[in-house]
Amino acid sequence: MNPAIFYNFIEGPLVWLSLAVFLSGIVFQALRLSKMMQPSLNGRKIPEKELPVPNTLTKKERFIRNLFFLKNSILGINPLIVFISLIFHLCILTTPLFVPAHAVLLENFFGFSQISWSPRFAHFLTGLILVCGFFFITRRIIIRRVRAITTAYDYLMLGLALAPFLTGYLAHANVGDYRLMITLHILSGELMLILIPFSKFFHMIFFFFSRFAIVNEYSLGAPKRSWQF
Amino acid sequence: MENNTQPIPDTPAIQTILNANQKQIKIGLTMCAHCSLCAESCFLYMSHEGDPRYMPSYKFLNSVGALWRKKGRASQAQLEVMRDLVFDNCVLCTRCYCPLGIDIPSLIALGRRICRSQNLFRTYDKSA
Repeated sequence: MNPAIFYNFIEGPLVWLSLAVFLSGIVFQALRLSKMMQPSLNGRKIPEKELPVPNTLTKKERFIRNLFFLKNSILGINPLIVFISLIFHLCILTTPLFVPAHAVLLENFFGFSQISWSPRFAHFLTGLILVCGFFFITRRIIIRRVRAITTAYDYLMLGLALAPFLTGYLAHANVGDYRLMITLHILSGELMLILIPFSKFFHMIFFFFSRFAIVNEYSLGAPKRSWQF
Repeated sequence: MENNTQPIPDTPAIQTILNANQKQIKIGLTMCAHCSLCAESCFLYMSHEGDPRYMPSYKFLNSVGALWRKKGRASQAQLEVMRDLVFDNCVLCTRCYCPLGIDIPSLIALGRRICRSQNLFRTYDKSA
């Protein structure tokens, strides 16, 4: 196949196709999850009068109580991994949206400019993602308990998540053949988009369902549903 | 005279239980990021000097999870290993915490149900 035609295909129709699969896949999977949830039975809801009311506590006592809560939470037990996870997930979600090169592509297509970060900052964030990714891979190899449940699929998923960022970084830094890097960048990005609804990547959506829709000890907001598999 | 014949696992019975709960098992297996952050929430893990076999995710991945991947086909020895995991390494106190919200205790309870269907129960005195 003519390289120019192939490049135009992956940069044009394949982008729309992967975006369509990504969005429709998420809607489809979200509907599937919703069907597995039913309004929680009345008997399972804790009556408000039985909930511990901290209003009687002084400001100092409330502060200490919250401090103990944080100390016993996952943040208090594993602060490093929580901090790195947070940075990794925030960067992985926002970086592609505000990379200057993506903004230029959008402007060329839609005719309006979109806010974007400076190339230097985008470079920094991409580097941060790669460092976090390296940390996760090292953690999987070194720490006994993580190694005990790690499979080849975990490395594959981590590799797939990092590939668009690594190739984008290398293409921007002009390392290696630019055309090859940018082709790999586009292809890996599209593959990741397509896989999100149908693989372990879907935890990005599942998390919000399990935290905001399902009643449990760790739920956020005011959920009213429970799993009915 | 002692009967040394090993019981043969009732695979169709295991498959029936697995199929009846396939949505829950699939969600658990797909969403588990293998992050191991559930470990410290298990008091048995903490009291066994960080032995991974007591980690909540390890227990469900290597019991119901392993059985699901094998489509319910397991040898008696493999079922006995699973029995040890779900009965001895877990007390179903439901205190385990999954950052992604997977209901690990219910999956371990499912493992126990499968074991019971195969006449495998907790052995209180292993030396007997």
